[in-house]
Amino acid sequence: MNKFNQIAEFGKTLMTLSDMENALDLISIEAKRLVNADRCSIFIVDNEDSMLWTKLSDGIGRIVIGLDSGIVGSTYAKKEAQVVNNPYEDDRFLPNIDLKSGYETKNMLTVPIFNSKQDVMGVIQLLNKSRVDFDNSDLETLTFFANYVSGSLELVLMQEGL
Amino acid sequence: MKYANTYQSLAQFGRELLEKKSLEDGLPLISEYAKTVIKAERCSIFIHDRVEQEFWTTISDGVEKIVVPTDRGLVGLTLHDKKPIVANDPYSHPDFMSEVDKETGFVTKNIITAPIFTSKRDIIGVLELINKDGDFDKEDVRFMIFFAHYVSGFLELTNVYLKKH
Repeated sequence: MNKFNQIAEFGKTLMTLSDMENALDLISIEAKRLVNADRCSIFIVDNEDSMLWTKLSDGIGRIVIGLDSGIVGSTYAKKEAQVVNNPYEDDRFLPNIDLKSGYETKNMLTVPIFNSKQDVMGVIQLLNKSRVDFDNSDLETLTFFANYVSGSLELVLMQEGL
Repeated sequence: MKYANTYQSLAQFGRELLEKKSLEDGLPLISEYAKTVIKAERCSIFIHDRVEQEFWTTISDGVEKIVVPTDRGLVGLTLHDKKPIVANDPYSHPDFMSEVDKETGFVTKNIITAPIFTSKRDIIGVLELINKDGDFDKEDVRFMIFFAHYVSGFLELTNVYLKKH
């Protein structure tokens, strides 16, 4: 099954969920599978408190960062996906999160999730693609995927009053 | 908020939509749903063909195609401005093509449009609703923007990615 048929199947499953925690969980599993990455975090934008937070992250507790922090913050500010295949040489990278978790980030792909007003409401972050670097095809797939799930995510966020 | 219940039940519509295997199968469902919840007389979805530089839309059966220019009318203006348009008095709007009404005998009383964006921020289509009892208001605009975004993933998947591969 090609990636896009796989996304079509995934969409049906996502639609059966109504609460955010499960939806985010499912989205992150699917995102990893699509680009063959080891870990995925989904950051949600909180404009009131000027921060980005995760509900869950693989192998690490909740992460809260400033809207301008790290490569995720830069994705939010630029409203653009970022491919970083040498994170330790990137000034924006936050090595403390690796230090704290004991996990070594080798490469990273981030994509913004836009709401219907075309504001960034979240960022999907993928870490450590197996054996090779993230490429343009991963970027295109994830960009599409972020938009594909954005309607459901916006609806769930709206209903949770966040 | 008059759309509160609609937002609540939108996922049910989403489930039905994602059962549709092609764009042509999905379009009548989207039109019918939009028309019902916004309480308008007609709904058209204009799909943007970037290669041919035209819009196409279907009659209610979803099969027969009508081609519309991209540089004229309120649909063309939506593409150009990349934002929704509300015309509660269309005959006084400079971009309204009243000749279409003249040809068909249909009387347009009011119109609302919203652009539908792809993941690359291109416009894949325009959603248009015609003839609501009373004027289209801010909540209608808000719902149109939300709804256009909500169906955009299905439109992009079926019209771009499932076609290409």
